[in-house]
Amino acid sequence: MTKKPVTVLACAAAALVLAGPLKARSGRPAAELPFPLIERFEHFGPEQGLPAWKVHCVLADKGKVWVGTTKGLAVLEGKTFNVIGPGQGLSHSVVTALAVDPATGDLWVGTLRGLNRISAGKVETFTQTSSGLPNNVVYSVAVGKDAVWVATAAGVGRRDARTGSWSLFDSTNTLMHEPWAYAVTLSPEKLYVGVWAGGIVEQDLARGTWKEYRDPDGEMELDLAPDDGPISDITSWATWEDGILWQASYSGVARYDGTRWKSYLEKKSPLVSNFVNFIAAKGRVAWICTDRGLTVTDGTSWATYKGAEGGGGTVEITRPGTPPERRRTATAMSNDFVLGASITENEVWLATSHGLTRGILARRIDQATAARKTGTQGASR
Amino acid sequence: MRAAPLALLALLLVPSPRLAAAEAPAPSNAPALWPPRYANAPEELVPFRRVEPYQRYFTEPLPFYGPGRDYPDPPGLKTLRVGLLAPSPGSSDAFRGAMMREGVEMAIDEANASAKPGELPFELVVREDSPLWGSAANILVDLAFTDECLAVVGSIDSTATHVALRVALKAEIFMVNTGSCDQTVTETSIPWLLRTWPDDRQHGYRLAELVVKEQGHRRIAMLRTNDRNGRVGVKTFVDSVRRLGHPVLQEMRFLPGAKSFETQVARIKAAEPDAVVLWGEPEDAGRAAAALRKGGVTVPLYGPERLFGPAFLAAAGQAAEGMTITYPFDPTRTDEAWTGFVERFRKRYATAPEAFAAYAYDGTRILLDAIRTAGPNRFRIRDAIAAVRRYEGVTGTMVFDPTFNNLAPLRIVRVKGNTFHFEKALAGGK
Repeated sequence: MTKKPVTVLACAAAALVLAGPLKARSGRPAAELPFPLIERFEHFGPEQGLPAWKVHCVLADKGKVWVGTTKGLAVLEGKTFNVIGPGQGLSHSVVTALAVDPATGDLWVGTLRGLNRISAGKVETFTQTSSGLPNNVVYSVAVGKDAVWVATAAGVGRRDARTGSWSLFDSTNTLMHEPWAYAVTLSPEKLYVGVWAGGIVEQDLARGTWKEYRDPDGEMELDLAPDDGPISDITSWATWEDGILWQASYSGVARYDGTRWKSYLEKKSPLVSNFVNFIAAKGRVAWICTDRGLTVTDGTSWATYKGAEGGGGTVEITRPGTPPERRRTATAMSNDFVLGASITENEVWLATSHGLTRGILARRIDQATAARKTGTQGASR
Repeated sequence: MRAAPLALLALLLVPSPRLAAAEAPAPSNAPALWPPRYANAPEELVPFRRVEPYQRYFTEPLPFYGPGRDYPDPPGLKTLRVGLLAPSPGSSDAFRGAMMREGVEMAIDEANASAKPGELPFELVVREDSPLWGSAANILVDLAFTDECLAVVGSIDSTATHVALRVALKAEIFMVNTGSCDQTVTETSIPWLLRTWPDDRQHGYRLAELVVKEQGHRRIAMLRTNDRNGRVGVKTFVDSVRRLGHPVLQEMRFLPGAKSFETQVARIKAAEPDAVVLWGEPEDAGRAAAALRKGGVTVPLYGPERLFGPAFLAAAGQAAEGMTITYPFDPTRTDEAWTGFVERFRKRYATAPEAFAAYAYDGTRILLDAIRTAGPNRFRIRDAIAAVRRYEGVTGTMVFDPTFNNLAPLRIVRVKGNTFHFEKALAGGK
């Protein structure tokens, strides 16, 4: 492993809190947002020890930050990055997916050539020729209580935690319209699979039965009606959390609460872009990673972070029934092309196409309530 | 004449610099040149055309907002590597794949021969697909990261192309597809693929108009292969004839390699069609045509470009007589671009080029021109290819839509005396 000290970029050190989020334009006190805002961004790149600029995925867990890059897996402990690459046994340098087994603490690492388990410092590799992994190109990993699920370019693999045996699920033995799986996510009772050109399929884990969710209009060139199902059959990511299933696609986002679907599109909602790479969920809030910025929403309130010309960035906040409020921020993400996110109580880690970003979350209540207490004017524009 | 062909005719008549072998493509960004509807669909064949949908996609060129255009060139380059994701020699695409490879190799060799002093030569890195499920994904990883190619040409099989394309997005490497007919390949919104081969959507539109509007058929049956190519390929045709008021009465399927069609022929005969559309590999479709005729189904037969060639004629025998198919371009043209290509190809390979060689040649030319223009930077190469709106290739004028898909008008071919005859093109592409 290589070790390099971390030095947070100077611009981050000089960052300042969002410039006064205090009142909506109407003059009424702004409603409290159901999620914390990011008050400051810090950047990490090769100068800080990251092995590459491009970061595909990130996972913050128990004080460590695991970072999947084009040139290996980096782990940030304290102020130092350690790098695990093919030289340390990783099956490929391009790391695409990360998941921690909460029961064992093992880290599962998906790459473009195989799956790896890092346990007690040792790297164990699973490939399509050495194990039952359906295909070496791994896009997503999810850890359940009795199995690890893997979405690959040729179906979903399930590795039984007790026996180590593999099962393959694809278009021949499930309702998957196509075999290409790009996301797996678990609820306590169900597995959801994001299928390329096949919408989302759901497995009842107890019964083993399958159910399919498809874009009802059946056309790729249009979305006939809003809120009628998955936004597209091309699913680029799926995330389940707290009763809500979020579908990412390159045509927008859909939210499913088990009863109703909602559609969110660029220009028809505050979603910054239809090209969605990833969604991380915490509670009922989705952190939507797009090619043009980060949008945070619970489906009613929104905040979108983007870089700005000349440095720094903007956050655009949309509350129900009020006009959008745009604020300038002193710092911004490393890049607006966001590929992954991991949220903790106090921070959000963002994988971007040009560096790793740490977003420091503002205290939950301070935004609107501070305005009401002080009566000061915001810097919205 | 409908608006759509008029619009496309206007596109084709806009003067553009003639592309000689070593000239750069002629990109144009005039927004007025976009076709009036996605895929240049005839107005009456547009899905849900009587209502305005909540959202229309593919109305603007697919953008790429990521970084990389200012990344430094890879150090120590001795060649400019181009990958070729080639079909497996043992697959049903083996012949097409061989043609594709020859077209690619010829384009690269010609480009190297005409290189200016100081320009790095192109190097082709060929990796063959295998029957292993999803192997195209692994191959693209190799081409992108092990071989460090600047871009990739491929493939023909639609499954392989889809699987590779998703990796191309992760790896940020451009793919030029020159042989997949799957319309959904360019409907993924991934801005890292351009296709020179006119897809099944184009063939579906053209066949629907031909069968219903021009030939006046009202009772249409379909006999198609029961695989992904059949399932996805027929969608536009089936939807289009329904929109024209004459839905397919009977859609029967056969397994790839099928020898017996008794059940299918009986069902189709019972439906009393006045036309049958065949869709599948040429050998299979040829046997299906023969079985239809043997079973007493005498109505006209139609099909897409995959049926063009000796394999269909051999399998169908006399049943091929009168068969009508759509085809991407006119190989009977006598202009110098085409005849020169054919002559050079014959000289090099001692055989005539098939469409898969011609489109591979054109697609590779577009790619090589982009690399020369952009330099060894995958992101700038992407931008250079995405800027190509029209291209004068050996296959004729290609017009690319916002999804980087070739919308060149198709040709109609009929079998007469066991030979394919190209019908004279009419204005508007008909």
